[in-house]
Amino acid sequence: MLVITRKPEQSIVIGGEVEVIVLGITKDGVRLGIKAPRSVQVHRREVFEAIAAENRAAVAAKVPIQDAAALLRTAQVRKPHIR
Amino acid sequence: MTPDPAVTPDTSPDSDDGTPLTFPKGLLGFPELTAFRLFEPKDAYPLKFLQSVEAQEVSFICVDPACVKKDYEVPLGEEEAEILHLESPEEALVLTLVVVPEDARKMTTNLAGPLVINVKTRTGFQIVLNSDKYPLRFPIIAQS
Repeated sequence: MLVITRKPEQSIVIGGEVEVIVLGITKDGVRLGIKAPRSVQVHRREVFEAIAAENRAAVAAKVPIQDAAALLRTAQVRKPHIR
Repeated sequence: MTPDPAVTPDTSPDSDDGTPLTFPKGLLGFPELTAFRLFEPKDAYPLKFLQSVEAQEVSFICVDPACVKKDYEVPLGEEEAEILHLESPEEALVLTLVVVPEDARKMTTNLAGPLVINVKTRTGFQIVLNSDKYPLRFPIIAQS
């Protein structure tokens, strides 16, 4: 892993088109600004991990799909506009 | 894109030739699994069944989110539209994965990580949305 020391308002450039700027440092954390083309997705790592965890949880259905579907259909008949 | 489930025919991208769907990047947590078949098992409407071709034991229950949340829309970025070669919204099939716990009344669907599939090219991606706005565990049966 490359380790670089940066001060506020300094930045690093990745791959020529992504720039990560240190906006400020407080006791709570480091504020980063990211300039990237719209085609580059930027997400917090936790978001990726949370979705991966939900995917893994979705693999092991505890109930047959028909039973789950029947419950869902019954609920929808009773309450057509689920929010 | 929020088709009314009442009037939209329940079409499956799993055409008769049996070509599986390709997820070139896999699903998050399952990057190595890139081929899936989508089934609509008997008596399972509105739920569908997505099964890995490479690992038969990996399968997901999923749903057209429009069936469970009418105003759900996936904001597609340039990257997604480009990778998916989507020419019109009608070419996109959106599915969200369903987690079914032992008490199935508590089942939830993940609105933060929808699968967007180009039904023409049969290619799909899992999109990452802001989970502050799109719940990871959206209850699909209203709790009374």
